Amino acid sequence: MNILLCCAAGMSTSLLVAKMETAAKAEGIEAKIWAVSANEVNNHLDAADVLLVGPQVRYLLPQLKKKGLEKGIPVDAINPVHYGMCNGAEVLKFARNLIGS
Amino acid sequence: MAKFTQVLEEKFMPIAGKVAGQKHLQALRDGIILTMPLIIIGSIFLIIGFLPFKGYPEFMAGIFGDAWLTKLLYPVTATFDIMALIAGFGIAYRLAEHYKVDALNAGAISVSAFILATPYFTMFTPEGASEAIQVGGVLPIALLGSKGLFVAMILAMLSTELYRFIIQKNIVIKMPDGVPPSVSKSFIALFPAFIVILAVWLIRLLIENTSFETLHNVVGQLLQEPLGALGGSLIGALIAVFFVQLLWSTGLHGASIVGGVMGPIWLAATDANRVALTAGNELPNVVTQQFFDIFIYMGGSGATFTFALMMMFMAKSQHSKTLGRLAIGPGIFNINEPITFGAPIVANPLLIVPFILAPLALTITTYIGMSTGFAPKTAGVAVPWTTPPIIGGYLATGGNFRGALMQLINLAVSFAIYYPFFRMWDKQNYQVEQGAEK
Repeated sequence: MNILLCCAAGMSTSLLVAKMETAAKAEGIEAKIWAVSANEVNNHLDAADVLLVGPQVRYLLPQLKKKGLEKGIPVDAINPVHYGMCNGAEVLKFARNLIGS
Repeated sequence: MAKFTQVLEEKFMPIAGKVAGQKHLQALRDGIILTMPLIIIGSIFLIIGFLPFKGYPEFMAGIFGDAWLTKLLYPVTATFDIMALIAGFGIAYRLAEHYKVDALNAGAISVSAFILATPYFTMFTPEGASEAIQVGGVLPIALLGSKGLFVAMILAMLSTELYRFIIQKNIVIKMPDGVPPSVSKSFIALFPAFIVILAVWLIRLLIENTSFETLHNVVGQLLQEPLGALGGSLIGALIAVFFVQLLWSTGLHGASIVGGVMGPIWLAATDANRVALTAGNELPNVVTQQFFDIFIYMGGSGATFTFALMMMFMAKSQHSKTLGRLAIGPGIFNINEPITFGAPIVANPLLIVPFILAPLALTITTYIGMSTGFAPKTAGVAVPWTTPPIIGGYLATGGNFRGALMQLINLAVSFAIYYPFFRMWDKQNYQVEQGAEK
């Protein structure tokens, strides 16, 4: 499972990546999770199964959803509360649901 | 109050989305990023060259010879002084990507167009002479740096627009089948590139017949200087900060959206200070990119560093304490999404008040501090926005302890503004937690 995260500079999402990796390990899930800045997303979409967007750049969502559609991968914004509390387990669950659906 | 945040969400979200998603502004922001790593590297040499210690220049001259500073600043020239060239390439490249036309070609054409608009002479005063003479056969380095930034930006967009228009209209030279694809590809770029160069050439010839003489003078006098004066004023800075905070209050990345518009102005202001510093002149600009990144947004947008400290050390409620411990690490590097979304500050009428007030207050204190000479202005050093407080103030002012002192004062001011709101908020959390346990 390849989970791509993006925000303005890819900084705060990378905090979440660390927590999600821990959560994935605890649940025994094989996952590659990484964060990039919004302007780099294009170069990473091919490798991703899902794109999660930081709530602070959710204004990019329509644009990114369109790109996701072209590549056939789901794209959605991360719940702000889970984002703020760096809740890796919840965001991982969210990503898995998106891929599943 | 809930209605207020709802209105913000409904009114601002589409505008913010449009501004941030607008392809030219996006190309501008993403293209200028190309200059950043270079400028940060140049900054390291700049800091070493101008450390404000007594006897330092003599000490360096003693070891490396009298020309030590000139030699040390070679990399500074090679990074800062070609800012416009690099940005022009980057902007055209990113814009072409949007249009899904060949980005590399667009970048190359843009650089060529920029050079075409630049006069190939400079004024030079020989040693012992009193009057400057015109020297030909050179590219004036001053115009390839921040002074040429706006010309490069405009030409990058115009040339790429023209380029993609012609390609998309399919007015290209087609090679017969059997010609290798990479060869025919270079021919596809040929005709639109010719049109772009022709257009810029005609513009140059036209302007040479006016009193402006060069496109650089036209853009400088009509655009760069007025915009710089507006964006560099206290009022301009306050308006920018207010919008950044208002956008963040709804959970949108304000700095990224406002920076997309204001970035070039503040970057040019940063570099004007660097040019003055290396020439040994008075620094001209108070408001630069580092003015905001380093002195206002300590701990992240909203100047939340002191708020994170309060949560960590002074909180009664478990939520505040937990969040404080989570937020302090990234907060040291001026990243505060855990606070804005976790507290939350977003859509929280109580915390939005200090979140907007504190950065506005710090803009005023820093502006007064720097314009009265109490604190040094930023030295044109491009300190990354992730540089921790105190270190950031020291480095951004070219290694000056009074820069760090200014930050300490700002920390005290933001503490005073956040404290009462923190108390109320923490008490609310505490009562909810107590109620939940009973």
